[in-house]
Amino acid sequence: MATTRAILTPQSAEYPTSNYPQYLVVNSRPCLGFDATTAETCYWTFVVPQGFTGTMTAVISYMMASATTGGVAFDIGVEAVTSGDATDLDAGTSFDTVNTGTDAAVPGTAGYMEQISVTLTNQDSAAAADYIRVSLKRDPANATDTATGDAYVLALEIRDAA
Amino acid sequence: MAVLIDATRQAIHDEIQRTVDCPGTITKPQLRAVVDAIDSWVDSNAASFNTSIPLPQRTSLNVKQKSALLMWVVNKRYEVS
Repeated sequence: MATTRAILTPQSAEYPTSNYPQYLVVNSRPCLGFDATTAETCYWTFVVPQGFTGTMTAVISYMMASATTGGVAFDIGVEAVTSGDATDLDAGTSFDTVNTGTDAAVPGTAGYMEQISVTLTNQDSAAAADYIRVSLKRDPANATDTATGDAYVLALEIRDAA
Repeated sequence: MAVLIDATRQAIHDEIQRTVDCPGTITKPQLRAVVDAIDSWVDSNAASFNTSIPLPQRTSLNVKQKSALLMWVVNKRYEVS
């Protein structure tokens, strides 16, 4: 049985200096608007809780701004830093290879929510107490990403195998 | 005038998706095909469009002015639809 280890919301997202999703409030619901043609990325930071074990799964809750056909594709990256790691946090990043998750058919009504479950096979050897960042990027270049307009991400849940 | 270059057609495809006019019932490849088709149609019918403009305006207006007027007419038709 999986255990929720982090619930990541639009309000707590962090952004790079360029090409990031727009923070929006749609019908009183905070969300992140990921463009359909420019790859946009955001991040979340947390500390891996005690008891964490196994391979993580990320669950993306999203809805489309206007599309009712086509699919979307997201890449999720993990950067896990253990105490004493030779990672210069004020000068660079050390994300593992991204994990790709797709939904080949967005909801038939814009505004309906669906979830994409992504197994984080590449999780940078994350372990309890690690300082961890998760990146989320919509990948317009992915052949599955054919839905027009913004994809609104409502939440990102991180689960482990515990 | 020739058809728009690929980068311009792609820009139309990209930019319209950031507006309220983003069509949700077709996919991105289908949208691009529509952009291409409309541009090709405009190019193919440019002479016919020009002929439709009465004289002497046809010769006294330049291409940009004729295009601007076409945009205004189409835009007003869009606003009332």
